[in-house]
Amino acid sequence: MTDIPSPPLTAGAMPRLRGDLFMRYGFFILVIAVFVVFASLRPTFIAPGNIHGMLMSASIAALMFLGLTLIVAAGEIDVSFMSVAALANMVVAALVQAGQGWGIGTLGGLAVGVLFGLLNAGLVAGLRLPALVITIATGALAASIAAAIGLGTSISLSSTGFVGQLLGLRLGVVPGIAIIVGLLYLIAWYVQDRLTFGHYIYAMEQNRAAVVEAGVPVNRMLFMLYVLSGVVSALAGILLAANLSSGQPYLGTSYFLDGLTAVLLGGMALKLGKPNVIGTLAAVIFLIGLLNGAALLGWTDSERQIVRGGLLLVGVGLVVFARTRTRGPAHS
Amino acid sequence: MISGRLLVRLAAFAALLAIIAGLFWAQNPAFLSTGNLRALMRHMSVQGLAALGLTFVIVVRHFDLSFPGVASLGAMTLGWLIAIGMPLWLSVAGGLAVGVAFGLVNGIAVAKFRLPDIVTTIATGGLAVGFSYFYSNGTSISQNFFMSGILDLNDQKFLGLDKPFAILMGAALIGFVVLHASRFGHGFYATGQNPLAARFSGIPTRSLIVAAFAICGMMACLSIALLVASSGAANVTAGNQLLMPAFAAVYLGAALFGRPSVGATLAGTLMMSTMLNGFTLLAIPYYYSDAIVSTVLILAIAVFDPRVSALIGRIFARKKERLA
Repeated sequence: MTDIPSPPLTAGAMPRLRGDLFMRYGFFILVIAVFVVFASLRPTFIAPGNIHGMLMSASIAALMFLGLTLIVAAGEIDVSFMSVAALANMVVAALVQAGQGWGIGTLGGLAVGVLFGLLNAGLVAGLRLPALVITIATGALAASIAAAIGLGTSISLSSTGFVGQLLGLRLGVVPGIAIIVGLLYLIAWYVQDRLTFGHYIYAMEQNRAAVVEAGVPVNRMLFMLYVLSGVVSALAGILLAANLSSGQPYLGTSYFLDGLTAVLLGGMALKLGKPNVIGTLAAVIFLIGLLNGAALLGWTDSERQIVRGGLLLVGVGLVVFARTRTRGPAHS
Repeated sequence: MISGRLLVRLAAFAALLAIIAGLFWAQNPAFLSTGNLRALMRHMSVQGLAALGLTFVIVVRHFDLSFPGVASLGAMTLGWLIAIGMPLWLSVAGGLAVGVAFGLVNGIAVAKFRLPDIVTTIATGGLAVGFSYFYSNGTSISQNFFMSGILDLNDQKFLGLDKPFAILMGAALIGFVVLHASRFGHGFYATGQNPLAARFSGIPTRSLIVAAFAICGMMACLSIALLVASSGAANVTAGNQLLMPAFAAVYLGAALFGRPSVGATLAGTLMMSTMLNGFTLLAIPYYYSDAIVSTVLILAIAVFDPRVSALIGRIFARKKERLA
């Protein structure tokens, strides 16, 4: 093979390169900016207690969105994740309240995650049914069962068991669970960016047919991703049962917008429009910081809801904008 | 005009409906009483209007997840306009305008700016829910409702039909003409099947996609106006109950009749409402309704999927071989 001559750098290429660099790392600057602004407006924002609380909720949310990130990166969608978390949460609460203890409760919650993961995986990856409608339906099923378990209301718990102890672990202001979730994300990053499995995920989003032609077992990969999404959502639901010391049948609604916003905004960081785990993690921290700081400034729930919706729109817009720049005009 | 295949499908649908109705009737004879049938039709009117709007978006092969949120905003706008003393027609028009506006935003974002439909409509739906809190900080609105005459929208009769059902029938008739008896209708289907080919044959695909989203938003707000009329108050969570039944009705209908259409959606809604009404009559609590709807939806999509039905067919064929 002869050397491939590198394309000459024209004058026009430089600013564009700089622009890309800004888009790649600009998001991290934004995250830091949010924290600096809120810290200067409300010093309690960076009080150790608040930092600890934010890291705690960020860890649980990030855990829930891990599977979703990989599914969206592969060009599919899962809108049942938050309902699976709510169902796992209610199953744990119901089992603990019935005197089964946290061990059985956790196993029960995990079983729910595996079950719904398998259901989604079987229908979407196995039978190749449309992902959106199927996950709307399975999500509604999970949410409905969650409400039925508590007869329409929440279940409060008197003890939080070993899950509570796990959440209680802390290293200074950093909760132990944040370190565990951080390690999980490190593994996920290695899988997505260093192993061929991860490269196939990115490739699937760009051209599914080509990846199938190349002999990659696409359906088996999708199957694994949907099961993973069910399991991590259920784990997050179990943690929430101890964190809130109750089972909340309707906790899913608040995570729905946040999950998609985190994945799409995070997709802008580092990869210019491709959802990736590091980006999701940064976006979760960004969202939690923003919403927490806004609450300290006295914003109402509805105003924060509007911020969420607006951010999601901005995220989608940026992703599409970046893609048309890197890949030429959209091909749909 | 009615082809043989359509006749077979219609017969199959009628048989299925008769079996379901028969089962409920056997459990509780009150199921077929006039009062219950009228309640069923009223329920069907609310769900059917939202599903009709969604049909247009599904026909152009897009998705709209914003209509429940938009409907909530429409309900609150309607309630607020009545509460400040506006006449009824203006209040309803205001609610519908919200739906059209959000539909236009969705449509333009998807058709012109090429944003992905699912995530975009989730975002605009989230925005709409946020805005719906502005009127009253999230409390329900019911001032002036008795005076305004909105309750008549639910209680009055029109040509012997309950008004909600008459409105559904009227909307379905208009929808049928637009989608199945006009040039636009062919355009909608062509846009869904192959947008590029449709565009090259001179169909304004982008405008039709925008129109489909606008219709969907407007119909969601019309459906919520009926719900507000029947419950006597406007609520910020009013739209939440529209999402599942609307998707289920469109997909169930499309599964039964081969493709999404006005008639198919009406059939899907009728079946869905029959089941929900029946289960309510058997005193099954409200929180099971989504579980029932979603299970039916999953089964319908799975069973009517060509690959799956082929698979089932093969299994049966093998069994027959073994028997023979």
